[in-house]
Amino acid sequence: MNLKYYTSVQFIFSIFGLLFLFSCQKEIDVKIPDYEQRLVVDGSIEPGVKPLVILTWTAPYFGNQNYSNFQQYFVENAEVIVSDGTVSDTLYQPLPGVFPAYTSNNLIGQAGKTYTLTITVNNKTYTSVTSILPAIPVDSLYFKPDLNDTLGYLWAHFKDPEAPGDFYRWFAKRINKDDRFLAPFASATDDKFFNGKEFDFPNARGMEPNSEKPDDKNDERGYFKKGDSVMVKFCTIGEKEYRYFRSYYQNLSSNGNPFSAPSTLESNIDNGAIGLWCGYGTFFKGVRLQ
Amino acid sequence: MLKFLLLIFLIEFSYAQNFTVSGKITDKSNGESMSGAAIFVKEINKAFAANNYGFYSITLPSGNYSLLYHFTGYTTITKNISLSKDMQINLQLQQEEIQMEEVVVKGQKSDINISGSQMGTVTMDIEQIKTLPQFMGEVDVMKTIQLIPGVKSAGDGQTGFYVRGGGPDQNLILLDEAVVYNASHLMGFFSVFNGDAIKNVSLVKGGMPAQYGNRLSSVLDIQMKEGNNQRFEVNGGIGLIASRLTVQGPLKKDTSSFIISARRTYVDVLARPFFKPGSPFAGTSYFFYDLNAKFNYLFSDKNKIFFSGYFGRDKFLFKDNQSGFNVNIPWGNSTGCFRWNHIFNKKLFSNISLIYSYYDFSFGALQEGFEFKLFSGIRDWNIKQDFSWFPNTRHDVKWGWNYTYHTFIPTNVSARQGETTFDLGDVVKLYAHDAHAYITDDWDVTDFLKINAGVRFSYFAQVGPFTRYLKNQAGVITDSIRYEKNKKVKDYNGVEPRAAIRWTLNKSSSIKASYTRNFQYIHLASISSVSLPTDVWMPSTEYIKPQIGNQYALGYFKNFKNDEFETSVEAYYKEMKNLIEYKEGAQPQDNVLDNPDNSFTFGKGRAYGVEFFVKKNSGKLTGWIGYTLSWTTRQFDAINLGKEFFAKYDRRHDASLVINYQRNKRWTFSGIWVYGTGNAGTLPNSLAFFEGDIMTIYGLRNSYRFQAYHRMDLSATYTPDRNKQLQKRKTHLEKKYSQSGKDISKIELPKKWARNYESSWSFSVFNVYNRMNPYFIYFDSEGDFTQGTFKVRAKQVSLFPVLPSVTWNFKF
Repeated sequence: MNLKYYTSVQFIFSIFGLLFLFSCQKEIDVKIPDYEQRLVVDGSIEPGVKPLVILTWTAPYFGNQNYSNFQQYFVENAEVIVSDGTVSDTLYQPLPGVFPAYTSNNLIGQAGKTYTLTITVNNKTYTSVTSILPAIPVDSLYFKPDLNDTLGYLWAHFKDPEAPGDFYRWFAKRINKDDRFLAPFASATDDKFFNGKEFDFPNARGMEPNSEKPDDKNDERGYFKKGDSVMVKFCTIGEKEYRYFRSYYQNLSSNGNPFSAPSTLESNIDNGAIGLWCGYGTFFKGVRLQ
Repeated sequence: MLKFLLLIFLIEFSYAQNFTVSGKITDKSNGESMSGAAIFVKEINKAFAANNYGFYSITLPSGNYSLLYHFTGYTTITKNISLSKDMQINLQLQQEEIQMEEVVVKGQKSDINISGSQMGTVTMDIEQIKTLPQFMGEVDVMKTIQLIPGVKSAGDGQTGFYVRGGGPDQNLILLDEAVVYNASHLMGFFSVFNGDAIKNVSLVKGGMPAQYGNRLSSVLDIQMKEGNNQRFEVNGGIGLIASRLTVQGPLKKDTSSFIISARRTYVDVLARPFFKPGSPFAGTSYFFYDLNAKFNYLFSDKNKIFFSGYFGRDKFLFKDNQSGFNVNIPWGNSTGCFRWNHIFNKKLFSNISLIYSYYDFSFGALQEGFEFKLFSGIRDWNIKQDFSWFPNTRHDVKWGWNYTYHTFIPTNVSARQGETTFDLGDVVKLYAHDAHAYITDDWDVTDFLKINAGVRFSYFAQVGPFTRYLKNQAGVITDSIRYEKNKKVKDYNGVEPRAAIRWTLNKSSSIKASYTRNFQYIHLASISSVSLPTDVWMPSTEYIKPQIGNQYALGYFKNFKNDEFETSVEAYYKEMKNLIEYKEGAQPQDNVLDNPDNSFTFGKGRAYGVEFFVKKNSGKLTGWIGYTLSWTTRQFDAINLGKEFFAKYDRRHDASLVINYQRNKRWTFSGIWVYGTGNAGTLPNSLAFFEGDIMTIYGLRNSYRFQAYHRMDLSATYTPDRNKQLQKRKTHLEKKYSQSGKDISKIELPKKWARNYESSWSFSVFNVYNRMNPYFIYFDSEGDFTQGTFKVRAKQVSLFPVLPSVTWNFKF
């Protein structure tokens, strides 16, 4: 559902366009009140894959952010434990000082299992629970031109199960073009609007944040190209996880939108941490776009 | 104390040999009834006011009396009567004859602010409002009332107003008794009230009398003109963004008249050349129009009927040919009202009204075969009856009842992708019965003490058809309960005592105190941070409890120089509970396949402050200065971690200055200056990284203050002297005729309409010193994180720089 205009600043600006004929703007100094540094968790686990947990601290809103000073927001030396109820493992940091990611050599995700994450850092403990739900398939992936004959969306045929309460997230990876599975904007959905229905839906192409690739800057941005080979990862997620993504995308889209109420991020982690510990039930399918 | 009062009450009614003088007061030139005209009885040194329909009734012991009939700007008429039987005096007041270069002294000069029991009530004549500076040439009553202390505007481009810390949904806005649910055009830049169709405006900001209810904060009562029943009249105006035309006249002289008034903007046409083809605004079009109509018929001295109606619509269109993105957003109000005034007898007056009001909003978007529609609204059918009873000079008793059947249409969504229609559930409508009854007495207990006491009983019931969805812990619907048509889902009732006391200190000063308790059964929830037409009205339901407010006020009133200057100090404390807000992160489509009342969260509010007011009523120079010092807070368990926070429109200091200078008959100058502490807002305070994207983390609710708002507007109105023009023409023709030897007596008089013709020019300058008042702040990030140039900048957008406008008005 391409509703990007619906929430975008540009659209609201155009509603007011006539009045903004007169409007004017200036840069101002805003005194931001002090903030409390909070833990941000970006963790995931899926079948056949090791858990991955990236830990950072929140950064001040103003000020010049870059890679050289980015390191000060890395969470180093945290105690990160993942447990599936019977096996418990303390995660290690493969690249300390370079990247704040924690992973395991002993634990691999399994469908149907529930995983507890426990993080202890600066004498504060945070916990979260997620499950890897059974995968639900998509079929008949196909390309449909949109902008011109060669650029278009990747469509999928889908049958939602009869029972309500399914939540999904969509990823895709172009073979030899993308380094990892990428989720387009607003890639998470619930089945509230289509429970039990059978239908086709279009998917835009996701991209790396701040991507400098030529095909993310020109007309090809957001489109798949005829001839691409694409692997789709269609995931089943839990309700809390879906709600997090909903608030996450709302946060990204309302950033700078002066008319939206300040959005609050949902989280499935306790003790005031931001972010998500997410189990994905994965279904993979490949297609050559023609 | 109660026994004592009761005793006095009984004594009052046992007066012997009383007679009643009653009647109606109308304007001689057009037959409009003159609500608020005063009748002063010299012998007992007491003034009485005519009601909304110009009806008055005074009961006095037999004797000789002088009655002075007075209305500002009109010649006072004195009637000497010998009261030995009941009398009926219907009177026509005439506008003061103005001599050339002489100054008309306008403005109310009376001591009603000292002698009345009412607190916090302001009435304004539309002619008074018309002389004030106008924004883009449009007379706007909503902007004018925001100049009164205790009434706050939300800033540029918003007509929503905030009375003593209450929200915009806590104002009861009535147009000829019909509720107007969204009083603004163009997202709040203009109000829906066309100045040409309005007679007067009154605002009750505190001490709400018992005849009004279902809102916590204020009543804005707007009366439409009845239409000239003496002669046909056409008037209109051409302004910067809109034109107006009004036609009125008698259907049958003295007994029946009509008025039709229309207005439409042409910003869409004017703005088109400014949009470059290909710019994002190129496919943008916007206009609004409104239509007011009223008809009245006087059957007999005792019966009069009125029909009045309003219909207004805004339409916004957006079309982007490149992306094929198409948007159509219409919204608007319609109201209709039938009224029957009946005079039972010389002391008892009644009015029955049958009222319809409707507001709807819809949003339609189309792109790439994906169609999306969203609509919401509210519809009311309302019947009410009000009685006024004037048993003797010490009592003015009012009672009545009111029943409304509401239909609420909270946000409904439909969507289609090609052939597939998404299941967005049935159209959700909510129904409710809403009934009220009241009685109130304005009672002169002694010469010093006056009590206005009343009580209102209210009952509200949400009824079927309705489906309550039952959810499991994960928020997935597992079951539902179905209520059939008219079956009660949930009901509430309330007892609302209202009291105001006035204690006279001396002829020119008094102290007043009031207490009111109000219930509000319908609620407006705003999903965005500004008031938009998408805001949805909701009934009280199982989860949404009625809002309850208690207000205490105390005031000191003093007049100087024979009532030329009015001053007052009023302090208030208000507490409100069951206030409603959307849950954080709620989205309009959450209503779909769910009960809309699940999207809300509830809390309480407090407001307190002091208002200072100085007003000059007469002379060439009139105007006022108002200053308010106030605090407004809210507390919601589910917002801001449950901590109390300042409301968005909490305003520590709020000041307004209004000056009107009538230089001579032709030129009037006026100016306003307003100042208000900046709005409170929520700003981001930190960033968080997730999947490589940067999220914004917000600080505590409303912990940031925008810059203060202040602005000055000036205006001048020029009215050419028509007599002089006509005289000039006559002299010219006489000269011409005598030169050519024709008979001067053969000079034809101009046609009647041309003799009646009048015109005026209004020049206004909005925001004279070009103050950049904050409309909103947004943040713009630029640069690249990997390059070390990433930076966030705060930008403040201001809406209106200095804006001159000119309007030409005519009348014949």
